[in-house]
Amino acid sequence: MAVRPYWKGYLKLSLVTCPVEMMPATSDSEKVRFHTLNRETENRVVSHFVDAVTGKEVKEDDEVKGYQRGENEYVVLEDEELETVALESTKTIDISTFTPRDSIEWIWLDTPYYLSASEPVGQEAFSVIRDAMEAQKMVGISRLVISRRERAVMLEPRGKGIVLWTLRYGDEVRDEETYFTAASDAKADPEMMPLVQRLIKKLTKDWSPSMVEDPVQERLVDIIAAKKKATKKPSRAKSKSSTTPSTPSNVVNIMDALKKSVAAESRRRK
Amino acid sequence: MVAPRANWKGYIKFGEVTCPVALYTAASSSERISFHTLNRKTGNRVKREFVDSESGEPVETDDQVKGYEIEGGRYVVLEPEEVTAVVPESDKTLKIEAFIPCSQVDTTYFDKPYYLAPDKMGGEAFALLRDGMAKTKVAAIARTVLFRRMRTVLIRAHGKGLVAATLNFDYEVRSSKEAFKELPDLKIEGEMLELAEHIIRTKKGSFDPGDFDDRYEAAVADLVKAKIEGRALPKKKLPIASKPGDLLKALRESAGVNASKSKSKRQAANANKGAPRQKASSPSTKSKQAATSRRTG
Repeated sequence: MAVRPYWKGYLKLSLVTCPVEMMPATSDSEKVRFHTLNRETENRVVSHFVDAVTGKEVKEDDEVKGYQRGENEYVVLEDEELETVALESTKTIDISTFTPRDSIEWIWLDTPYYLSASEPVGQEAFSVIRDAMEAQKMVGISRLVISRRERAVMLEPRGKGIVLWTLRYGDEVRDEETYFTAASDAKADPEMMPLVQRLIKKLTKDWSPSMVEDPVQERLVDIIAAKKKATKKPSRAKSKSSTTPSTPSNVVNIMDALKKSVAAESRRRK
Repeated sequence: MVAPRANWKGYIKFGEVTCPVALYTAASSSERISFHTLNRKTGNRVKREFVDSESGEPVETDDQVKGYEIEGGRYVVLEPEEVTAVVPESDKTLKIEAFIPCSQVDTTYFDKPYYLAPDKMGGEAFALLRDGMAKTKVAAIARTVLFRRMRTVLIRAHGKGLVAATLNFDYEVRSSKEAFKELPDLKIEGEMLELAEHIIRTKKGSFDPGDFDDRYEAAVADLVKAKIEGRALPKKKLPIASKPGDLLKALRESAGVNASKSKSKRQAANANKGAPRQKASSPSTKSKQAATSRRTG
């Protein structure tokens, strides 16, 4: 199924330009979706806009963006006018800088999008940029206006396409020093390090999407199915009995706990 | 300095080792420029109203309830208590279910980052986990109830502390294979790839978040000013896509290579370009490979 592109524009490397389109890498469409109902009538609740002064309904065609200038003073901006805003980065991803893939820490990654060549004429140019980044193990850095904000973005080759990440602004990531004062005093006992590493190795698995399954959604689906079937009231899903956390390990028994863990994992492997 | 307030406190458990931790928001989002929606006819602001789709009568918030559509217009009603009852009670423990090599982590699952720091006397166990993960280059997968939702988080060493990123669920991330399936299998080799790699090397730099400010708001303000003063809004010039036949030429020009010169002279032209020597000359093995594949291909 073709997803309507979220954004269309151009990808540019120096004098090479190709038409591209982009869509969000995440989607709500598979989520159990609820509608809002009126409890009394069980009809859908819909939202519409009314004029704040006259109270009369405003049709979608009559809705227009207003830029606030004063308390009650607005300048009307049509979408076509907004398009003319004098910033290259509304339509063009001009890659200004390349940097090694590992040099951008994960904490800067904000929202991922999938970027593809949108027309046959641009396939080769798109592939040149993608393959050259891949060959150099580099990611591209550029600017792009998304959702009325100009963002730093990172372009990373992935398969036949490119993943475009918006990157957080400098002041959006909080200074870790403030949070890690206690952590920086924490030292690992060198005698225990080999044991920890053994435990980690035993518990290391390959990444699999099953690690991000949602048990809650599955139970919601069950409840809905039960309600649909039964006219009688279905039994409420019981929440799993919570296990009380074991008392935190203190310095003395960490070694014991580690040894037990490694032993337990070794048994499990047999 | 006032110690920041934790958003969550609980435990990390790996194997039989438990350590108390505190979780803090690591990133916030800044505001975007907001427009108001106006009624074009009156110029007044508009406001949103929630009404019954049949009667058109306003519905108060208290009378709004969640419904799941089972078939055309029929709904199963779920009261808020029923929805919250599905979320297991929190045991306040991030139990590590597995470690995975950092190189295998699919970053498209990332949702929000949080700093994880030791709480109370948890320092020793915390440091063991942090240093152990850093040494073995792995991240940890754990699951717990965070802020009344069941979440999977990916925990990794980050400087002196840990970062826990909440992950999107499998059904929330589109497959990249599916997204890119319309794209042709096109592998670029030879001179084109060589030139593009050269351009990339000359643009090598580092990412400094401080260099990127949001220029959009100022640009819109300029636009508004132009409109008020009755100036004609500039026509936006769109870039022209490179034609496939001109691609090699565009690459050569971008790389500072004189297209009229023969290929054998190109290396010399590059060296004279004034680009740092090291960058221009270091990837000699790569160029050779590319040259080979060009001959065979």
